Order: sequence, then C-alpha cells, then structure tokens
Amino acid sequence: MSRVRFRTPQSAAASLLIPLLLITIAVLLGANGTPSFQDTVTTILCNLIVVIGLQVFVGNSGVYSFGQLGFATAGAYVAAFLTLPAAIALLQTPGLPHFIADAHLGALPSTLIAAAISGLLAIVIGLPLMRTSTLAIPISTFAFLIVIYNVVANWDRVTGGNSGLISIPATTGVESAGLWAGAAVVLALAYKWSASGYRLQATREDEVAARSIGIGVMRERLLAFGISGVLCGVGGALAVHQSGVLSPVTFYFGATVTTMTMLVVGGARSVFGAVIGALAIAAVNELLRGVENGASLFGAVSIGEAPGLAAIGLGLILLATMIAMPNGLSGGREAGELPWLQRLGLSAPAPPAAGAVAESRPVGERPTDGALRAEGISLAFAGLRVLKQVDLTLAPAEALGLIGPNGAGKTTLVNVLSGFQSPDSGTVSLDGVDVTGRSPNRLAHDGLGRTFQAALPFPDLSGLESVAVGAMGMGVSRRRAVAVAADVLGRLDLLEQATLPAGTLPPGRRRLLGIARALAIGPRYLLLDEPAAGLNEAECEELVAILRNVLSDFGCGILLIEHDMNIVMPLCSRVQVLDDGETIRIGTPQEVQADPAVVESYLGSSFLAAVDA
Amino acid sequence: MLELREIRVGYGQIEVVHGVDLSVGRGEAIGMIGPNGAGKSSILRSICGLVRPSSGRATFEDRVLTGMAPEQIAQLGLALVPEGRHIFKTLTVAENLRLGVREEAEVGELMEQTLARFPILRERAAQRADRLSGGEQQQLAIARALLGRPRLLILDEPSLGLAPKMIDVIYQLLQELREEGVTMLLVEQNAARTIAFCDRCLVLSTGKVRTEGSREELQRNPDVLRAYLGGRQP
Amino acid sequence: MTALGQNLIDALALGSLYALIALGITLVYTVMGMMNFAHGEFIMLAAYALFVFADLPFGAAVGCALLAGIAIALLAERVAFRPVRNADLSAQLVTSLAVAAILQNVVTVAVDARAQSVETPAAISESTSIGAIMVPNLEFVTLGLTAIVLAGLGWLLYRTRTGLAMRAAAENFEMARLLGVRANRVIAIAFAISGALAAVVGVLIVLQSGQVSPTMGLTPVLVGFVAVVIGGFGRMFGAVIGGLLLGALSSLLGVYLPDGLAPFRDAIVFTFPVLILIFRPHGLLGGEIGRARV
Repeated sequence: MSRVRFRTPQSAAASLLIPLLLITIAVLLGANGTPSFQDTVTTILCNLIVVIGLQVFVGNSGVYSFGQLGFATAGAYVAAFLTLPAAIALLQTPGLPHFIADAHLGALPSTLIAAAISGLLAIVIGLPLMRTSTLAIPISTFAFLIVIYNVVANWDRVTGGNSGLISIPATTGVESAGLWAGAAVVLALAYKWSASGYRLQATREDEVAARSIGIGVMRERLLAFGISGVLCGVGGALAVHQSGVLSPVTFYFGATVTTMTMLVVGGARSVFGAVIGALAIAAVNELLRGVENGASLFGAVSIGEAPGLAAIGLGLILLATMIAMPNGLSGGREAGELPWLQRLGLSAPAPPAAGAVAESRPVGERPTDGALRAEGISLAFAGLRVLKQVDLTLAPAEALGLIGPNGAGKTTLVNVLSGFQSPDSGTVSLDGVDVTGRSPNRLAHDGLGRTFQAALPFPDLSGLESVAVGAMGMGVSRRRAVAVAADVLGRLDLLEQATLPAGTLPPGRRRLLGIARALAIGPRYLLLDEPAAGLNEAECEELVAILRNVLSDFGCGILLIEHDMNIVMPLCSRVQVLDDGETIRIGTPQEVQADPAVVESYLGSSFLAAVDA
Repeated sequence: MLELREIRVGYGQIEVVHGVDLSVGRGEAIGMIGPNGAGKSSILRSICGLVRPSSGRATFEDRVLTGMAPEQIAQLGLALVPEGRHIFKTLTVAENLRLGVREEAEVGELMEQTLARFPILRERAAQRADRLSGGEQQQLAIARALLGRPRLLILDEPSLGLAPKMIDVIYQLLQELREEGVTMLLVEQNAARTIAFCDRCLVLSTGKVRTEGSREELQRNPDVLRAYLGGRQP
Repeated sequence: MTALGQNLIDALALGSLYALIALGITLVYTVMGMMNFAHGEFIMLAAYALFVFADLPFGAAVGCALLAGIAIALLAERVAFRPVRNADLSAQLVTSLAVAAILQNVVTVAVDARAQSVETPAAISESTSIGAIMVPNLEFVTLGLTAIVLAGLGWLLYRTRTGLAMRAAAENFEMARLLGVRANRVIAIAFAISGALAAVVGVLIVLQSGQVSPTMGLTPVLVGFVAVVIGGFGRMFGAVIGGLLLGALSSLLGVYLPDGLAPFRDAIVFTFPVLILIFRPHGLLGGEIGRARV
C-alpha cells in the first residue's frame, strides 16, 4: 500500500533544506568575517526570525497585522530583565519586582521564557482581535503596537522609559542566531504543512468556502497569531542580546516597515519568501547605508552623510513590489515548488493509484434514515418578500433539481438551508434535528455540504490538498485527511492531475474538484449551486456522470440549482420549481417540462397559446 | 448603430459568452431572451465597459467601444438601466435624476419634461430613493437614463421583481418611448412579452445565440421553449 | 461647575480635531475603499510647510501648508495609489504604508530627524474668558475651523454637482460611472479635499505643540483609523461621531485619570475601540467594507 503524499520527498526536502542552507551560508560568512560584519549578520538573522514570525500569521491567513513587533518588544524586554545583573537592573529599572531583577539567567532560558511570555501575550491580545473583521485586524494590531510603545515608554520605573536599557549581556553569537533561525524555519514549515496550517490557508483562499467545510476561522487565526508571537518574541530577545541596548523605538514603526518590506518583497505566502526577502532586503539595506555614510561609489564620487536614505530606498522597493510583483520574489512558493524542480519532474508526486489506499470512507457516515427538510421558510429582505412559506424535502441518495426564473429565490433558499442566512420564519431540520440558524461550519459537521456558484478549489493548493482540507475541516489528522481525499478522488475518477496546483487545471476539472472537496467532509446532503455554469458540453456530461456516482456510491442526497436543463433532466428524479418565492410545481422532469404553469413562469402566458405541445 | 462581432466574455478562466453577434439599428427595439446563465447580462456589461470582452469587437456608430471606460461610453450616448436598477438609495429622487443629466445647459427643461412624464416621481422628488416601491424604482431608473437623452437605451430585466400590473405600466412606457424613436436593447427572462414587444429577438442559452428572428418567426418556434426547459421533444 | 464646563470645551475641541482627521481618512475610503496609512504623513508634510515658510506672515504660511497638503495628496494618488486601485484591501493598505514610510524619511533626510520648533502667533497661546470659563484661543480656532470645514464639506457634498457625484460614487462606484461620472476626477477630488483637511489638522497641531517632527503623523493617523472604525466604515457622519467620542474620551481621561496612570492615557484610549469592535464588528453605526457593485 503506497503512502499518499502532497508533495514528493524531493520537493519537501528542497523546501526545507534550501532555506536552511542559505542560513548556514550566512552564518559561515559571518563567522569568518570582521567583528563588525559578524554583528551585522547576527542582526540580520535575528530580523529573519521576526520576519518568519510575520510570515506564519500574515502569509497563511492573508490578513496583515501591523502589531507583531509589539511582541518582539515584549520578548526583548522580558529577556533583558532576566539577564541584567542585579546591580544594573536596580539602577535602570528600580520598579521591577525583585525576583525578576535578581534573576540572572543564561541566554537560552531567558530566550525561552521570553518566547513563552510573548506567545501568551499574543493569545491574550489575539482573543479579542481575531474576532474582529478582516479589515479591522490591521487597524487594531496597529493600535496594539502603539499601545505597547506607549506603555513601555511611560512606565519608567519598570522599563527604563524612553531612555531604555543598556549593558544587556551580549550573548547572541552568529551561530546561536543561526540555530534559532533554522529552528524558526522548521517550525514555520511544520505549521504551514500541518492540518491547522492548511485550514488557515483555506480561509485565505476563500473564506466563505472555508466556513462551508467546517473551518473555524477565528480559531485558526488565533493559533497562527500565537505562534507568530512566539517567534517574534524570540527574535526580539536574541536581537537585544546582540546589540546590548534596548529602547521603546527599537521595534516600533521603522522596524515594522522594514520587516514588512522583507516579507512582501520575498513573498508573504512562503517561508522561503520570508528567508530570501529578509536576506535580500538586508543586503540592500547595508548597501544603501554604506552609500549614506559617505562611502565612495566606484571610488570616484563620494556622497555625503544622509540618514534616512536607506529607509526611503526600502520604502520605494516596497511600493514597487506592491504595484508590480505582489507575490514577491518567490511568487509565494516554497523552494521545492519552484519551476526548476518541476523541470526535473520531481515536484509533483505521482497521483495515488485508485484503490492503493486502504478503504477509508469519508468521515461521518451515518445511518441512512431521515431527510433534509425545510418547512414554511419565509424571508423578506429590504421590504421584499423573497421566500414565502417554502417547503422542501431532500432524501438521501436522491437528486432534487431546484429551478425557476431569475429572482425566484433559489439561492436564498439554499443560503437558508446551509446556514448563510436565517429565515424570518420556518424551520430547517436535518435527519429530524432542528438546525435552523446554525452556522455553516457547524452544519458541515452535521453532515451538510454546499458548493457555491463557480465552486472552485483553492487555486494555490493542489487538487489533492484542496480536497484534503475539506476533511481537515472536520478535525481529522492530516494523514487521515489525505487518505480520505485520495479515496474520494479515486471514487470520482479524478486522480489524474490531482497533485498539480489546482489553478493550472481547466475549469471543468476545477469545478469537479470543488465538488470533491465538499464530499470530503462526508456529507449526507450536498447542495450544489449552479455547478454547470460555464462548462461546455463534454464537461457537462462528465459532471452528470460524477453526480450519478455520488448518488449511488456515496449515498448523498443532492440538491441542484441549475439553469442548464441538460444537467437537471438526466440526473434528477424530482424537480421543484420556484417562482417569485413560492413553489409552483414539484414533479418529475417530464411533468415539469410540460406543466403549463411552469412554462408560463418562464415564458409568459401568451406563449402557451402559440406553441403546441 | 450598435454592432457586436464575435464577442467572448469570461470571468477569470471561465468563459460565459462564446462568440455572439448582435446588431441594433437606429430606431429598432431588439430583445435578448434566454434562461439565466445564458450570458445576457455579461453581454450588456461588456457593451457598457464594466467588463472587458476577452475577444471580439463592439462598435457604436463606428466608434470602437472595447477598451473604453464606462463613463466615456456613457458620454457617447449609451444608457444602461442595470438589473436590479441600482438607484442610489442614500440620495433623494431628485438627486438621482439630476445625476442622469448630461447636458448641463438643459437641466431645467429636461427635469420638467421628465417629471411631467413620471408624475409619481414628481410627487416623491424630495424623498430618499429607498422609500420607493419596486415599480417606482424602476421608473426612476428609466427616467434617470432618459435624462441623458441617450442614443441607445439598454435595459437589463426591467420586469424583474415587479408585480404584473407594474410590468404593464413599464412596458407601456417603453412603447411610448419606442414610438418617439428611442432605440432600445432589451434583455428579459420573460420571453413572451419581449418577443411581442421587440422588432427582433435573439434567443440565448449557455453563452451562444440559439436562434433569432422577428416576432412572427419566434412566436411559433418551439426552440424558444427548449432554450429554457431543455429536452428534446420526442 | 466651571471646571466641568472647561473640561467639556476641552473635550469638544480635541474631539473636533480628531473628527477632522477621521473625515479626511473616510473621504478617501468612501471613493477608493482604502484606509490610507499615509494620511498621517500628509498632516506632517503640511505642518512642515509652516516650518519651511516660517519667514512669511503666518497667514501666508498657512496657505502654503494647505497647498502642500493638497499637492502631496494628489501626487500620492497619481503615483502610488492609482496602480493598485483594483487590488485587494490588504494590498492597498500595505501600499499606503510604503508611501508613509517614504514620506516620513524624505522629511528626515531633507530636514532632520529631530523635532524643529515653529513660531506661532502669540495670540494663540492666550486664553479668552467666557463668563467664568477661560478658554484657550486655540480651542476657539479649532472649534471654529471645524465648524467651517463641516459646513463647507456639507455644502460641497449636498449642494454641488461635484458633491452629488462623489456621494453617488461612494455608494455605488460602478453605477456612477455608468451615468458618466468620471472615476479619476472623483477620486482626485476626494484626495485633494483629504489633503486639505490634513493640512488644517497639521496647522492646528503645530499651533498646539509649537514644533514639528517627522514622526508626528503616526498618532494622528492611528486616531483617525480608530475613529473611523468606531464610527463605522465609510460613513462621514460616523467618522465625525467616532472622532468626537475618541477626543472626548482622551480629554476627559486626561483630566480624571489618577496621577499614576496619567502617562498611560493613550494606551487606555486605544484599547477602548477594540472593545467596541468585539461587540460591533462593523462599528457603532455599522458600515460596509468594500464598495457596492453593479
């Protein structure tokens, strides 16, 4: 039995080893250079850790936080307190509790404690912040940054206030910085490739679809925020033990812009991007600083002192990147996902052979009684009655078509069934349990799947990964999720090309992967909203075949909103016609096609008189 | 007047209009009917510059429309009454109308004429537009479009969400306009009415023109029904 | 009683200042859907005009500040923001961050990283009495200017063709374009007004503190963001309310906070909006994120 993988061992190894190699090279260069060069490299490595911290949250969630350096500040101060000799601590921070001031820990313990405290702070801050909306997070994290600055700058007796702290033991060497940076890379990749990481990336790709497969958006963001806080805390602690001084502005606005530039230029979506961004921008920064300090350019012309030029240069680079190259130098890909590996034919694993995985039914198979029932659903919106006392019943293993003219209320009804809208009155029940008003991700756990118009898998993930995320939404382990995904794809005969990035596949195939993803949650009832939109004839036939398979093999009930009758007629045993928020006919496809009321709703009454049956 | 050749429209990687030809002559009323998802709205949006066709050409009186910004196309004299009307809810009725006027010099006269034709709007001129009923909003949207003295009036599903009586009123209005010589392009889901109203209709489904013809030709054509409800009659 | 009256006027004055900042940010938000980080630097640059043109009579220097604010806003729009007009919200936010960083450092390089003092008319630092209350003249100016600005903005938006176009564009940009409203023009005007508002704020801040520094724009822009978020995105009225609330809170805390906590006033003020966001994620008045589409 072959193990199903998302990526080849070569690709995974490359993604892990290449960044580590870059770090190792930096360390070697630093160790063999002048003391001042060594210091520079060490600083760069500490910055790198912070940038990786940024990547873990920003890159995976797609949400920008401007407050991460607040955690670096926290980590730096905590580490400083713990390592300052008692006498010095007394002078600079008289207000510090004795047990902290007297503490004189080594580099490692102080860094670990700093990391823990930053992480804890991140969770505490993140709990309220992650509940706000996607646009409010950048603003509230920005507020957090300023609040931390304010507290630290004004709490003189404890933090040394604006003058900051000095004489912090310089314990960070280039090797230890390199080790921590390597550890950061490993942690970041391990998180990104874990089930949690996948779930978070799903929210970045398509937040609505992610909710519909059971992912708790806030929970995943909070976890990443916490890990990010830990990493930033480590970076801050190490940095402060290299420079020996610390003040409230060390990790404030300027540093925020610099690290953000490093991340964006490198490519926020990948750890590799964070690494090359940090190294590249650091190199550019040094170059610009060299120019600033009056270094000779080509030996002939020398430019006078001009502080701030480097920062302008960086700002321009950030601006140019946002305009021209939003995915950064790495294009958002890990080292093992770049074209060079593809050319060697090593990047995508061979798709798993059908049946190569031990039979694993999708999670959540339940006994086959019951139905999805909507009773008396009414909904008014902006004074308009969109749904008027609509009933609907969907049994397992049956396909029900929902048709009707534009504006009849079909999508609204499906929104109500899947938890995206609440009805004004009426109930929805699933296998006898009242589920009216439950959230989409709760309903996913209850066994209700839904796709959206133009349901598409997550474009940056492979088909296999997208479908596996569906299973991960149910909370299973990554390994089980991958097995479920392979199983689902096998039964739908979609294994070919499953391991390529979904964005590169033709639209018909992507549509089918979107449906497969909804199936991976193991639903008893599947609601499909216009799955055939934009498909050509051949693709439509494929779709019908697959849906027939879903009915017989998976035992799902399918509710289909469709305008394309070539899908509805061959597939559905029953068709329900909505017009103007009301059901006007339920029957077999043939009955509906011939029903005068139905014809009238589409074509108008005078048509009947003109056309003979 | 308006000429579309081989227009293809796509969103991302999905093509929804697969090569459509269309022409509207001066003074004509042309209809596009077909089920939802047929691509009718996409064609209108591409004419008005809201979306760029992936290939093909649209010209209006020999000026190429493809690639122009929506506001420029509006200045050429094309007025779109979009699906769902999209009146400005936070503005008053009068303000909505004011926005439609293109020729500043004639504001007073144009407003007077329009309010005379739409008495209900005169009554509600100072009210916020979201207080109007569906039918009144549709009248407002049409009035607003007319204030620009359009050369071509394009309407996307004007009967959507309206009570039958209201639909009668709207079509009565459109008939008057037609008699005054306004050129029209009309998209509807309700086939019979449109076929009866327009000089010629195109029947679309899944992004292609399935059939087209004059009133007489289409009223007896079973293909029209098939476009909506599919199936091959035995 | 007089103390209370005094405090209330102080609170109102500070709230007005914050409302002006929030208005500038909201204007751009309504037409572009973007929260402009660089707004603080527009304020800063306009303030620096007062420093650069210190030799001119104060009135003339203020005029230069206004021009500077408008000019930099228009320039930033044309060069930096127009290319990313259709990008997603996060990308636009980061772009404005880049612009902010560039502007801040340009000033640092061109002038100095340290604060520079600016002479202000003596009359400003004095106070006038109303009954038993002594009101600093600066507060009169602030309140007066705010009233003028609100009136002027109201007139522009509700009584002119341009203002009508802007309000329409703010509600539904695409529909406005379909009616012939020129996108570039509306956005440019919004930025210009935003720049003018930033200049007014910059002048008021200089009158209060007597100095300028490259980082002086950071706190105001945060204040503005937070006020906008409290009041509800994209609502001009909400921005004013948010600004007034925040200013009132800050001012009253300044008076009534126990001495030990006084330095942490800002920290407390800025945690308060987070609480609001938790219970009302769309702000007090609710607002739409992003813009309506046809």
